Amino acid sequence: MKKMRPLMIVEDSDEDFEVICWALQKTGFTRPVIRSKRAEEALSRLFPEFLKVDGVEPLPCLVLLDLNLPGMNGLQMLEELRQIKQSLSIPIVVMSTSNNPLDIAACYSFGAAGYIIKPFKLDQYIEKVRELMHYWFNTVILPEIERD
Amino acid sequence: MNVDLSSCDREQVHLVGAIQPHGVLLVLEEPALRIVQASNNSADFLGIPCELLVGQCLDGLLGGENTAAIRTQLVTKKLISAFTHLISVPFLLHRDGVVHISGNRIDGLLLLEFERTSGNVQMIPAYEYSSRLQDMIQQLHGGAGLLSFLTIAVEQLRIVTGFERVMIYRFDRDGSGEVIAESKDAALEAYFGLHYPASDVPEPARRLFALSPLRHLPDVDYVPVPLFPDQSPLIDGRPVDLSHSFLRSVSEMYTGYLRNMGAKATLVMPLLKSDKLWGLISCMHHSEPKYLVYEQRFPIELLSRMLSLRIGDLENLDQYAYRTQLDQVYSQLIGEMGWAKNHQEALFGNKINLLSGIDADGAALLEAGKVTLLGITPTEYQVGLLAEWLVQQEAGVLATHYLPYDYPAAEDFSAVASGLLAIRLSRTSLTWVMWFRREVLSETHWAGDPNKPVIINSKGKECRLQPRSSFALWKETVRGHSHPWLDCEIDYVSKLRQSLLDILVERSCQLVRLNTELELSNQALNSFVYASFHDLKEPLRGIHNYAELLQLEEDGHLSEKGHQRIETIIYLTDRMHHFLEALLQYSHISNIEQDFQTCSINRLVEDIVDLVKMTNPNDCITFDIQPDMPVMMCNQTGVKVIFQNLIMNAIKYNSEAVKTIKIGCYIINDCPVFFVQDNGIGISSVFHKYIFQPFKRLHGHKEFGGGSGIGLAITQKAITRQGGRIWIESEEGKGTKFCFTLGPEFTGIRD
Repeated sequence: MKKMRPLMIVEDSDEDFEVICWALQKTGFTRPVIRSKRAEEALSRLFPEFLKVDGVEPLPCLVLLDLNLPGMNGLQMLEELRQIKQSLSIPIVVMSTSNNPLDIAACYSFGAAGYIIKPFKLDQYIEKVRELMHYWFNTVILPEIERD
Repeated sequence: MNVDLSSCDREQVHLVGAIQPHGVLLVLEEPALRIVQASNNSADFLGIPCELLVGQCLDGLLGGENTAAIRTQLVTKKLISAFTHLISVPFLLHRDGVVHISGNRIDGLLLLEFERTSGNVQMIPAYEYSSRLQDMIQQLHGGAGLLSFLTIAVEQLRIVTGFERVMIYRFDRDGSGEVIAESKDAALEAYFGLHYPASDVPEPARRLFALSPLRHLPDVDYVPVPLFPDQSPLIDGRPVDLSHSFLRSVSEMYTGYLRNMGAKATLVMPLLKSDKLWGLISCMHHSEPKYLVYEQRFPIELLSRMLSLRIGDLENLDQYAYRTQLDQVYSQLIGEMGWAKNHQEALFGNKINLLSGIDADGAALLEAGKVTLLGITPTEYQVGLLAEWLVQQEAGVLATHYLPYDYPAAEDFSAVASGLLAIRLSRTSLTWVMWFRREVLSETHWAGDPNKPVIINSKGKECRLQPRSSFALWKETVRGHSHPWLDCEIDYVSKLRQSLLDILVERSCQLVRLNTELELSNQALNSFVYASFHDLKEPLRGIHNYAELLQLEEDGHLSEKGHQRIETIIYLTDRMHHFLEALLQYSHISNIEQDFQTCSINRLVEDIVDLVKMTNPNDCITFDIQPDMPVMMCNQTGVKVIFQNLIMNAIKYNSEAVKTIKIGCYIINDCPVFFVQDNGIGISSVFHKYIFQPFKRLHGHKEFGGGSGIGLAITQKAITRQGGRIWIESEEGKGTKFCFTLGPEFTGIRD
């Protein structure tokens, strides 16, 4: 049986992570979710061979990335990914509180597949997450081939 | 025939072929020393008529011994410029007195002049003469500056020569002259301060004066003595050139001129500066003819040469003192520039200013269309026009002492500014510093009117000029001339200009640096604002989300009171969130890029109205939009913010069933004034001055949709950024009318 590749959420805030998971649940999202609290950790999971970490976990099919992270921030992570020659086929969608146009433009220029301003109200939250998941999991075809 | 004063210059004074009677002139051929021409008076001095002399050799006249002595001199001396003394021999006729023989070579001929000092001439003993000279030199050392030196010189010369009048005459660049020192017999009319037109000492005369160390006319009424034979000994028939001759006959014009002045005898010596004729020492005797013999003239000639040597030094010294003074002023002015806010403050101080040190009557600064005046100047308006003319001149430094001739409009103010010295401080903007000099000769004493045509001899068809028939004092108005600017003055202003320019460059570099720094710090501030909002919003959102989660997930466990409290948390965090968003928006207004483009206000307003209708579907709103509002050069984003906020405001603070919003424009002083008028609740005039303050609210948080109180502050900020202003016309309960402009208004009358 083919294993479903997980959704990766890079988010240091437990509260935000909980709210995202709550919203995912409300929209009926069933895939596994893996969480990285730091960008460095997320990178090692995305490139186990490159960063010499044993690849035991399945690769995610989509990454939700917060910008405001301890240590390497989200933007730096995007920049880091761009510098790695090996192209990454996994889309990365930024979710941030920031509505600074400069941040948004920078994320897209570093290869983000989307940018979502974290909504203030829960009903909007559910709406956003629903739209997002509908797009990535029902509209576009994501790579499903599992590593051996 | 066009006869002007310069015609006099054609008179060939040096080719007259005649001499004065106080000596004898012989023209000889070398090496035989055979006489080929002799003055007609040879019998009086030499005892032999000229007819007999011509053809003889010199030894026949002077004897072998004297001739040999002369020959010796002729070998050693070149005799090409002035006549040089060769020998003195006892007087040939009566053995009374001495004959002095001097010589000069010209055109291959030898000219010998014989001059007698008779035994009964009262000679001042040599010892006394030398003591007088020593005394004179002593006196001259006391003179501080050129003019006082020359004043002492004329006094001393009058004593030494015995002439009734001694004056010093200085030439201007144009050849005209002025008497700058005079010593005279008390009974005589003073000539001091008189100006003479250039034609009074015409160019040939000036040239001859420069050549001869001393010219002497013992008797104005002398009868000229012709040379015999009157045919020239030169092959080409030219008359023998008597330029260097001491005895040479003088111009009729000169004698006529002297007669007009009542002079009977003269003695004239040139004052040379760097080998150029600077002026003349002119001695006059009015009561009777006066003849100074060789022995008496000799020391005076030396003295005049000594004066010549000193003139250059003294004039330089005068200029040097002036230059030093200007240097000091320069340093002080530049020092002022160091701390002054602008040119005006630095250059127009009470202690030190543009007129300090420099010989000018007025000064002006023209900067950014503003004229600042000091001293005697044309009017501000005239200076403004003058600056416009100056712009067409290429030079950065301009000096003229006859401005009305260069710039005819200056006729109107030539009395105060015939001289102009101007420096340009900026090519692009109109920045000039100017100095003015008054018309100096507006009330000058002229010795004869140079504008009055000279009288032409009724018989003479070849324009023989008559001397002045009168020497009356003419007051001549020479319009449009000032004293010329000196080199050191031009140097000074050029140096000042360079330094002021350097300071300007330095300041603009500083400005660029400050701007760059400001821009960087603005960017930093901007990022800081975003980061802080982000950091404030994140926990706020967390609280809000958790409260909502509680409400949604735990509703059943909560008491009624708990439920209300959760509601309150959600409401308060909502408000806080709105507040943060508004604050961010307010700070964003400054970040809207200032790109101005043409924009139809009607179209812009219609777009906003469409949007407002869509977002407020439940309200009943009537818009009344004036159809012919202008197309403006403005920042579209900014103007959008303005209308949006004012329209939202008009809807928000309105309790009427039908909300009417009127948008339009009227013109005041060529400036469009826009307005947004509603039939809402109105604002009491008490609050008019507060409503544009950020977060100033006139109503409770839960009334009228609970705004953040930032809308009008943002509007005002956006209008200010456009260069306009906003005001309110409203009364409580009678609706509100906001009026605003999108650019500066013209308060004055425009031309």
